[in-house]
Amino acid sequence: MHCEPFEYEKPVSLREFESLYAAKGEDAKILAGGTDLMVLIKEKLLAPRLLIDISDLHELQGISFDSRQGLTIMAGTKIAEIERSALVKEHAPALAYAAANLGSNQVRWMATMAGNICHASPAAETPPVLLAHDCELIIGKQGGERTLPISRFFLSYRKTALEPGEYLKAFRLPPLPERSAVAYRFKGLRRAMEIDMLNIGAYLELSEEGQSVSDIRLAMGSVGPTTYRATATEQRLKGMQIDDEFFATACGGVVQEASPIDDVRASAEYRNRVIGVLTRRALEECLEIIASRGNKA
Amino acid sequence: MKKLIKLEINGENFDLAVEPTAYLIDVIRESVGLTGTKKGCGIGDCGACTVLIDGRPALSCITLAVACTGKAITTIEGLSKGTELHPVQRAFIDKGAVQCGFCTPGMVLSSKALLDENPHPSQDEIKTALAGNLCRCTGYAKIVEAVEHAGQLLSGEVTHEQA
Amino acid sequence: MSKHDFDVIGKDQKRKDGPKKVKGEHEFADDIQFPMMLHGRIKRSDIAHARIISIDTSKAEALAGVKAVLIGSETPIKYGIVPQMPTEYALAHQKVRFYGEPVAAVAAVDPETAERALDLIEIEYEALPVYTTPEQALAEGAVKIHEDNKFPGNIAYEADQNFGDVDEAFKNSHYVLEKVFKTSYVNHVFMEPHCAVSKFDTNGELFIWSTTQIPHYLHTHLAKVLQMDMNKIHVKVTGVGGGFGGKGEVSNNELISALLARKAGRPVKVLYSRKDVFLQHRGRHPIEMRVKVGVDKEGMITGIDYNGTMDGGSYGGWGLVILFYTAAMLHLPYNVRNVRFYARRIYTNKPTCGAMRGLGGVQPRFALESLLDQIAIDIGMSPYELKKKNAIGLSHETVSGQVVRHSEFRKCLDQAVANSGYLEKHGKLPFGKGIGLAGGYYISGTAYTLYMAYKPHSSAMIRVDNESGVTVYCGATDIGQGSDTVLGMMAAEKFGLPFESIHVVSGDTSLAPFDLGTFASRVTVAAGSAVCKAADNVLEKLKPVAAIQLGVSTDQLEARQGKIYSVFEKSKEIDFWKVVEKYIDAHGPLTATGNYTPPRRTGNFKGANIGHSPTYGFSAQCTEVDIDIETGEVRVIRVTEAGDCGQPINPVSVEGQVEGSIVMGMGQALFEELKVGKDGRLLNPSLHDYKVPTATDIPELKTTFVDSYDPDSPFGAKEAGEGPIQPVIPAIFNAVYDAIGVRFTEMPITPEKVLRALDEKKKQEGMQS
Repeated sequence: MHCEPFEYEKPVSLREFESLYAAKGEDAKILAGGTDLMVLIKEKLLAPRLLIDISDLHELQGISFDSRQGLTIMAGTKIAEIERSALVKEHAPALAYAAANLGSNQVRWMATMAGNICHASPAAETPPVLLAHDCELIIGKQGGERTLPISRFFLSYRKTALEPGEYLKAFRLPPLPERSAVAYRFKGLRRAMEIDMLNIGAYLELSEEGQSVSDIRLAMGSVGPTTYRATATEQRLKGMQIDDEFFATACGGVVQEASPIDDVRASAEYRNRVIGVLTRRALEECLEIIASRGNKA
Repeated sequence: MKKLIKLEINGENFDLAVEPTAYLIDVIRESVGLTGTKKGCGIGDCGACTVLIDGRPALSCITLAVACTGKAITTIEGLSKGTELHPVQRAFIDKGAVQCGFCTPGMVLSSKALLDENPHPSQDEIKTALAGNLCRCTGYAKIVEAVEHAGQLLSGEVTHEQA
Repeated sequence: MSKHDFDVIGKDQKRKDGPKKVKGEHEFADDIQFPMMLHGRIKRSDIAHARIISIDTSKAEALAGVKAVLIGSETPIKYGIVPQMPTEYALAHQKVRFYGEPVAAVAAVDPETAERALDLIEIEYEALPVYTTPEQALAEGAVKIHEDNKFPGNIAYEADQNFGDVDEAFKNSHYVLEKVFKTSYVNHVFMEPHCAVSKFDTNGELFIWSTTQIPHYLHTHLAKVLQMDMNKIHVKVTGVGGGFGGKGEVSNNELISALLARKAGRPVKVLYSRKDVFLQHRGRHPIEMRVKVGVDKEGMITGIDYNGTMDGGSYGGWGLVILFYTAAMLHLPYNVRNVRFYARRIYTNKPTCGAMRGLGGVQPRFALESLLDQIAIDIGMSPYELKKKNAIGLSHETVSGQVVRHSEFRKCLDQAVANSGYLEKHGKLPFGKGIGLAGGYYISGTAYTLYMAYKPHSSAMIRVDNESGVTVYCGATDIGQGSDTVLGMMAAEKFGLPFESIHVVSGDTSLAPFDLGTFASRVTVAAGSAVCKAADNVLEKLKPVAAIQLGVSTDQLEARQGKIYSVFEKSKEIDFWKVVEKYIDAHGPLTATGNYTPPRRTGNFKGANIGHSPTYGFSAQCTEVDIDIETGEVRVIRVTEAGDCGQPINPVSVEGQVEGSIVMGMGQALFEELKVGKDGRLLNPSLHDYKVPTATDIPELKTTFVDSYDPDSPFGAKEAGEGPIQPVIPAIFNAVYDAIGVRFTEMPITPEKVLRALDEKKKQEGMQS
């Protein structure tokens, strides 16, 4: 499989990377894990002139937590590390679960969550969970950085809000309030090595008395050109009592807001049908988690 | 333009001139001549090309060779010492987990990486760890058995003779 | 197991190639390198059906590093695995018939240069209508895909067989059920892509190393296409990374590597990408079958009527043989006296279908085992009871004259049912959970050669000496199934020597005597018989020498545990190797040959000689499924298998074959399907989108053997590599019916289809109530 020639650079510091990327960003692609990028190049869907390898930049590695800012995952962290991290398992277990179900073990040791996000595939595994967490993205560029809620990151099919010269530096998942939980559900044909036919991330926060919804986020994948939130449904659900009508509104709502297409993996009809089922299951799981925490406390 | 790189493969250093576009699998197979690493799909879907990079399983068909300088690469040839097989290799033979042998090198390396991290994996953990290594001959059952057995061999719970 | 007392046979044997394989040392074709070796790549058509107007290779030839460019008009010789019906060219000649057909080839100093050169080849086509389904290809006025095809339109072959009186049988039946079944377009997905390396020596002799199941047929094809004498061609089978029938036909890359090597005057390797493998294809035929079965009040089958349309893809391949195999495999393992079979194989503009594990059997078994399940339920009988009643006995002659000399199929049914608790579960599990039963069988040892020749189908030579030990030379090909181990074990048992001391040389047309190849589950019986006879002939020579040494008569001698001894007086024994030494001192080299020809039987109807077999293997499976009725996901939980493979020679290998068959069949039942666009393009020719089961998808597998021994087979053995895939799919489909009451008739059962069917069912129930 021949491809157009490209050059390869491996900066040794973040500063060097930023200046290189600022200078050559237009023709360059960032190589973090390569599990998407190298396949796209091999299949001749991309032909960058330069690959900038950031996989060993220590400034971009690591997972940390503090009670004010929450969980910070640096962009270069491998999916396998997220999957195994005690901090992630504690503060964002649904993310650990989504990470554990991404590709194969080999892919998880190579790929990064930044890559999973920046390729902006509507079927990607981690975006629904990150959207459910209302994660904040720290976006870097030479001489500065900015933050962006992930809900404003995916613009359209495989298009993100990154400006030329910008790169994804870190994910920040705010601490989960009491009586809240995130759950992730997905559907593929096989049990592993799948590109999901559907996936969903759900965030549910209950009011103090524990009977009604104080906040909710529902993020759906593979039902549109990007992963996105069913915001109209979320609005309707806020304040509702947790009862059959709540589930019916949630499931009916996501189906309304989903706009899937037929493709080689599944039909639009199937996706419309099952997104509601996954939503209900994710919300039930949120309730279970909240209840079990309550019991422990 | 070719770049001069140094790759550490199975503890040995190789000085190589490679194009930036060269994939690790091709360099390992063609330039270094270690043909135990197999190419089954070329785009990271089958796992036949699995090698260990710093102990972690990686797909050498979608890894650039130039990106591997300074890392320790282990191929299937690096697992055994002469005729002395690694317990994972031993277990694959003992349990009949080898048929055509094409997926075997990748399968063995993925298994080794698993056992290094988790010496007593459950059947489900084994299946998950091997999900990226496709095999069409065995139906996986004997492979899963072999990995369980390898864990026992490694921990000394059983010896090869008892197998 | 059996009452037979063996030292080697029937005991788990670690294969000799194991250590090499776990170390990555087993040599596959792509591992071969020669100095100055070139890499060949193939230019494929980007249109599914067209006349080739012109090909301009000048720019490609001008590219630095390109050493040879080849096009179809340079090799206009048709070939085919069925020599009476050659339809293919090494490179498309005058016409292309599927999207991705090889049109030109380049040999260059490295793969990148070769691929760059492909982009420089300019081809002008005149488009023709594209037919991706048999309906389109059969439509009135459709253009003939093969202009010289002797059947009307795009019918590649047509067959009609009629035994007994089916119409009369149905008239007198208690219950008759008819359904239409559709099978899917699936690929073998062996893990090793095709690869061949060709090299001409100074004397103009061709050496080719290839991953093939059929060195002999490759040999004849090369002679034909390259117009060379066979004795100047040497075929060497490398490691074969799985075949499952897909390497049971000559592949374009093999011929192209030889043609390019001759043109360039340098060794040429042609390695396929995974996409190339999907285009070479030769996977299972999708068949649309209208099948009708009648039973009497007792549930005895009165008759079967089969009408099938096979989607053959663009070329002939094994199609004709598979068509007649399907006819032969329609009604066994049941006793049926009235059978009508009509089938057509249709050319379409798609990659060619061919032989895939269990060929000829998988599709009719799917239909029959599904229908019998439904009939039993409809007449209020357990499917087990109905199948057991109709199952053939210990031996059987079918209405079409096939002789089954040995069958333990009834034991298979009993054992699978008992081990799985089928009777306690079937019809009694909660909605969404189900269990299904299906039976199957396969030929073993094959009776038919692809061309009429009277030479033995398998031959073996054994050489014994004190320097090199025992060497078995046999043309059979080990494609991973472990035939070298099995043949070595047979020789070891015969000579009373440890398996480790036997060398097996196979898969090399220069070194080993003739064998037809590895397909249709023929090796253990056919090549095994040849090896056993050769070993007997060696012993015939050794025993008289031992007899004189021991002072006993020859006929009381046996070879065991390294000795030749008198069965009446064990103390009269002599070391095996001592006898060998004495023999060679007196007579010179010790060699012997053996060969095997299956019994010839020919009925007086068309295709009568295809599908006959010296013996048959049987199996039954009970499969349990769990269905998520909200998402439609079908999960196979457990498969309980009972197989009659005669005496298992190497039980661990047989289990491996059975387990591999079950998981492969499950893939076809649940996920696998090659999808084709309207323009004939494959939509999912990657392991990303063509989904084979992963380790996480497998069910619990409980495989067992039934007590069995075919006295006319070598060490009582029969096949195990293809029979066990036969029941897999219908057992799953029957289990799905048991789980949710929906009778699926089309593969694969995707979650979508499950949900749609459940909706439909609810609607109908709503209308009824």
